[in-house]
Amino acid sequence: MEEINRQVPVTVLTGFLGAGKTTLLNRILTEQHGKKYAVIVNEFGEQGIDNDLVVDADEEVFEMNNGCICCTVRGDLIRILSGLMKRADKLDAIIVETTGLADPAPVAQTFFVDQDVANKTKLDAIVTVADAVHLSSQIEDHHEAEEQIAFGDVILLNKIDLVKDENIEVVTKRIRKINPFAKIIKTTKCGTPLKEILNLDAFSLKRILEVEPDFLESDHDHEHDDDVTSLSFVSDTPLDMEKFQNWFGKLLQTKGQDIMRTKGILNFKDENDRYVFQGVHMLMDASPMGKWPENKKRSSRLVFIGRNLDTMNLKEGFEACKSE
Amino acid sequence: MTTDLNQFPQLDKTKFEQRGIQLEIGVPVTSAVSIGNNIAAGFGDGTIRIFSSGEKHKTLKAHKGVILCMAKDGDNILTGGDDGYFLKISLNGEINEVTNFGSRWVDHVAAHNGNLVCSSGKVVYYWDKNKKEPKSLNHDSTIGGLAFDAKGRRLAVSRYGGVTIWKKDYSNKWKSTKLDWKGSHNKVSFSPDGKYLVTSMQENVLRCWRLKDKLDFAMSGYGSKVKSFAFIGDTSYLATSGAIDAICWPFDGEGPMGRKPICLPYIGNKQVTFIEPFPDEKAIFAGLSDGSVFLSQIENENNTIMIRSFTGFEVSAIAMTDNKSSIFIGDMNGNILWTSIWDK
Repeated sequence: MEEINRQVPVTVLTGFLGAGKTTLLNRILTEQHGKKYAVIVNEFGEQGIDNDLVVDADEEVFEMNNGCICCTVRGDLIRILSGLMKRADKLDAIIVETTGLADPAPVAQTFFVDQDVANKTKLDAIVTVADAVHLSSQIEDHHEAEEQIAFGDVILLNKIDLVKDENIEVVTKRIRKINPFAKIIKTTKCGTPLKEILNLDAFSLKRILEVEPDFLESDHDHEHDDDVTSLSFVSDTPLDMEKFQNWFGKLLQTKGQDIMRTKGILNFKDENDRYVFQGVHMLMDASPMGKWPENKKRSSRLVFIGRNLDTMNLKEGFEACKSE
Repeated sequence: MTTDLNQFPQLDKTKFEQRGIQLEIGVPVTSAVSIGNNIAAGFGDGTIRIFSSGEKHKTLKAHKGVILCMAKDGDNILTGGDDGYFLKISLNGEINEVTNFGSRWVDHVAAHNGNLVCSSGKVVYYWDKNKKEPKSLNHDSTIGGLAFDAKGRRLAVSRYGGVTIWKKDYSNKWKSTKLDWKGSHNKVSFSPDGKYLVTSMQENVLRCWRLKDKLDFAMSGYGSKVKSFAFIGDTSYLATSGAIDAICWPFDGEGPMGRKPICLPYIGNKQVTFIEPFPDEKAIFAGLSDGSVFLSQIENENNTIMIRSFTGFEVSAIAMTDNKSSIFIGDMNGNILWTSIWDK
């Protein structure tokens, strides 16, 4: 008789100051949706939310003493989530707002690192609210704006009523270049059904198979050295599992700080199962996910989002993993 | 799909379950303290239940949200909640507000000889029993735990990066000293003789300082976070959760350095999640992640008895009455056992 373990989904809401996070949070808290959502906000964030289900937090980023240099977690979140799990009424979802300047990675990593948090809650998706008017200039001026786009599973391109159609096209392209797999939703006043943002299961490996990102062979425009970019690779030749594990493990270990997100579906030689993985910096979740569907071409697809990707010899590394 | 309950082995009820009172409240038990021969238990819906032998338990609505922490202050109960209230509650149900922080949680409470302490975020508030206004003691990061020493002279505050020890000097001014160790420190406790200070950390490890020379060392090897620990007797052992055995470190003589702990095994390979000492004996109650609770003699691993069988939910509170006659057990689903411990 095991405990029936329903993990409460946690959505990380990020985005630059003024993009519309508070508008969205107010919608989540006030709309008649019949659901119970708790919202964790930062005390230095935008003001204007008052509700019993709002929890104030200090964004306290802790380094873990596990020898992993980029492994930082949100200590306050561990405390607050374990407190929320003691509530009598069960929550349908928890939303964590991060301030405009905060890197969302420590929040995401908290769900990999703390066992209690991982047992009772699960990271659902990172939702980035972007201001269609100012995003392009924010990306130029602030590396955080670029990182928030890079980490997002869903990007709410907000305030499109204030931008000309052709400019929306430009901004969308800019987003796509940084992050090819995020779902982009164009909104005015964050007006999109909540089911498009909450309970998406974007971090489940199964979901990666359902919503296959655009694994396009990337183009190589000239970019600033510190730009966040994405690179993806496709191969119909089966991979050698041992070679891949060696290469990829070492890559994350040594370049994990620059590699922000990875996702992939892998076809290994002599294996009937599809292998799916996804990672945030050097933390990774991977598992075989059932047999390859009949009539479907077996091919390996892999995407990286991060900085300095062109210095990592990713293409050569990936090519060398091919089994023949 | 059908469920056939008969397919599960029916575990016999323990004699304690047979003679005691069992309740299914359905709300997590967050803490329990003994007040004389009564037990006060706090719940995730803000209620407090007071158990006294031979009477039906009393239920008080104290907080609007989760009771996050509890301590005793003489014959009173102190509670802190996620509704921001710090309350002082008498056994007959009188509720007094000590203070209220609004939307900020009261994470920890403690008391010694009428002086009250609580923490909310990065600040510890200390109410001298003779004064109305609290003294604020500030820290750089959120507080993980609070503990007085046995005499109430020192207050240890654990936080990110170590522990701050506060003490009043001869002119009645607060002075602090710091014990540093990188990482996030949670529960903190002085040994009963005041010679050692122990914290449990976010990593699966305990940190210990020998206070006379600030020599520090780790107690490690745990499979999960150490959420519960307690000194047994007059500092002879530190019993800890966080492994499938109850791990008991020897603190007599020169302390645990270079010595092996005693590991008390339990059936079922479940994690120990809660430790409560049996007063004045070298014995502990160990609560497990499946809800089962055992009483073990530390120096005789064959002398273990099952007090409660499994419920499927992590044990989150155990408390024994001061006269050592009755025991209270609660878990994360509000399954309660309240029973006398001795055969008639």
